[in-house]
Amino acid sequence: MMSVSAMPEKDATSGAFVHTKLMPILTHYGIFLFLVLAILVSGLITPAFVSRDNISNMLMQLAPLGIVVIGQAFVILVRGLDLSVASVMATSAVVATSFSGQNGDAAWVVLAAISVGIATGLINGLLVTKRNVSPFLATLATMIVLQGLRFAWTQGAPSGNVPPFFRSIGTGAFYGVPYNVVIMFIVAIVLAIVLHRSAFGRRMYITGGNPVTAKLVGISSDRITIAAYVICGALAAGAGLILSGFVGVVDNFVGRGFELDSIVAAVMGGVALSGGRGTVAGALAGAAILVVISNAVVMFGLPVQLQTIIKGVVIVVAASLYVNRSH
Amino acid sequence: MLSLQGISKGFPGVQALTDMQLEVRQGEIHALIGENGAGKSTLTRVVAGVHQPDTGSIDFDGALVSWSGPGDAKRHGIHVIYQEFVLFPHLSVAENIFIGHERRNRLGLIDHRRTRSDARNLLDKFGIDVDPTTLVRDLSVADQQMVEIAKALVHDVKLLILDEPTAVISGPEVTVLFERLRALRNAGVAILYISHRLEEIFDLCDRVTVLKDGKYVATRMIASVERDELISLMVGRSLSELFPKRNTQSADSPVVLEVRNLSIPGRVHNASITLRRGEITGLAGMVGAGRSELAFAIFGAMRSSGGQIFVDGREIHDMTPRRAIAEGIGLVTEDRKGQGLAMNLNIAANMTASTLSQFTRFGLIDFAREFKVAKQEIESYRIACRGPSTSVSLMSGGNQQKVIVARWARTSTKVLILDEPTRGVDVGAKIEIYRIMQELADQGIAILMISSELPEIIGMSERVIVMREGVITGELTRDEITEETVIELATRRYAS
Repeated sequence: MMSVSAMPEKDATSGAFVHTKLMPILTHYGIFLFLVLAILVSGLITPAFVSRDNISNMLMQLAPLGIVVIGQAFVILVRGLDLSVASVMATSAVVATSFSGQNGDAAWVVLAAISVGIATGLINGLLVTKRNVSPFLATLATMIVLQGLRFAWTQGAPSGNVPPFFRSIGTGAFYGVPYNVVIMFIVAIVLAIVLHRSAFGRRMYITGGNPVTAKLVGISSDRITIAAYVICGALAAGAGLILSGFVGVVDNFVGRGFELDSIVAAVMGGVALSGGRGTVAGALAGAAILVVISNAVVMFGLPVQLQTIIKGVVIVVAASLYVNRSH
Repeated sequence: MLSLQGISKGFPGVQALTDMQLEVRQGEIHALIGENGAGKSTLTRVVAGVHQPDTGSIDFDGALVSWSGPGDAKRHGIHVIYQEFVLFPHLSVAENIFIGHERRNRLGLIDHRRTRSDARNLLDKFGIDVDPTTLVRDLSVADQQMVEIAKALVHDVKLLILDEPTAVISGPEVTVLFERLRALRNAGVAILYISHRLEEIFDLCDRVTVLKDGKYVATRMIASVERDELISLMVGRSLSELFPKRNTQSADSPVVLEVRNLSIPGRVHNASITLRRGEITGLAGMVGAGRSELAFAIFGAMRSSGGQIFVDGREIHDMTPRRAIAEGIGLVTEDRKGQGLAMNLNIAANMTASTLSQFTRFGLIDFAREFKVAKQEIESYRIACRGPSTSVSLMSGGNQQKVIVARWARTSTKVLILDEPTRGVDVGAKIEIYRIMQELADQGIAILMISSELPEIIGMSERVIVMREGVITGELTRDEITEETVIELATRRYAS
């Protein structure tokens, strides 16, 4: 009996510590801790994992997904979802390849490819805002239409060689840092500033957090939402170019699986599917975890099939952690 | 029947209950009253086994108990009727009543005939006039409430707890509900009745326990207590101390906002109002009279058909929220979570949401300046928080409300409309909000305050406009404003 009155008090204070001190740290930095932990553990198991070559290799793998996940994060932030990113990637790569017989006008080729993404994003955004189509259906539809257009354009056959220009972006390096990694970091820094420092970014957070509030404070949520889809489309198109340059071939399915990987990475990185929450750094860390997992499986010499199983388990673990946090 | 002693319950950041006591006897209707945030719902949840108390003892039906969960309390005969019903709209009344306790036949399948007849017997026994085969979605809200009560009666209910049951029903339905509750009391059920409507408590209850700030204040016999005494027990001070000293404006100060013949199909009909510089105008009426809709239409957030809006004598065509903000109009909406705040953001971001462009240069936000302004507002509004970067989701209702008022006060250079500005906030915050409103009025801002609380309307308004079913039924000047005149207009049939 004596200890009965003392015990709850102690529990209450340690509970308060977990709630007020530990949980916020986990909520804000959990994904980064997890990433560091995953790299350390993998490095301990296979020292080659943290070799210069492998890290450079992983960063190059990360570049396309990292760029797409930022766009995906923007869209999810305003309560959307973009399933068309992979289709945009492939279409942009196909368009670039078929336009670049001669290597001289690379800028125009890039512009044409990116326009595919911008146009798709614009259509997605207009469907979602002006026609009230659910993001899932709208972007699923544009994904399918793009795929059909692509097949018609290439008549089903892979369209040929990747122009040297993209090959060099995909594989070349700048003082030892691969070009595509440089591009990814530039994109990430610019968009982090846009999201976290600019009025546009703030309006995205308000729109995603409470659309009614957004309307009442005079924000045209429609325009903000459309802009998010356009940015996402443009980034996906750019990522398509980088990926095809990295892989060295263009077929109709460049970027296959990126739509789900980017959503999963964004959500693991703390971008709430309900909108209004998330950071560029978090989304990028989410993408990095996916890359680390698939790379580690290969490095450990485990069967590749394990890769998807482990990925699934990690997603479930990360997602259940978020459920706990939001309550 | 039920006796609580020394109950305390804390949550991270708040002590919800401190040394609470409560005693409910068999065969009585016991009222539990207190301001919002006084701890009524936490206390209910402790009794119902949803929360486990940190300290203290619960005596129920002659034994010391410690519930392992809500199911445990239910098995022992404690049932709670919450404001949100737990009913399945597409199932029949009978099926809903026996949900979780389905009447089965020998094969283990649901015995529909017995479900119906048992439900019929149960409803008849307590004089509840509802057909057991009706689908719940086809019932009125009042009848759905009866089904909720019937669900409790399936079990041997000893203590029935009702959480503000009359918030969702009206007039004659309340009378019926009270009759049923009295019948249950006479059948020996103890009833804990949570409400903040004093009239009902005097009508229905036998005893009343008052809570304030998570603490027990007093228990009184209804027969021997006065209304004013209950109010001062609840509030901790008398009514006259609540409202700031009024600085009367002359009735001929210039008109800032004029609305002529504004209509919203099905909601508001031909409304015309004028707001004057430095004047607090009350907009009274029943819930659903169209007051919020009128406010939204003035602010351009709801489409109106016909009608004109003039600001400083200039007609504003096609009002939108953005134009309203540019014209110096602000709107504090009724629903803080649904309409007012971006819960994902901090205090500073919520405060500057409507004036963001003042804080940007080349499209980038000047965080230092934003925080500086937010800090000033936090001080002048006496908002309890760690700082401008505190997330609004962690704050109490009163402090959240102050954040919203601060936001809109920043945009309203001419007109500030407040829709139920003190709903769901504690007394301290209420007084603050009244003070802020008076200060803004003193600065020359025209204030339109929508409120369903008569004391607030009477205590704050220079002038009161009353609406009923979408129509403005009258306007009262300072000396004409009394409870009777306002109620008369709020309930009067128009065109008579």
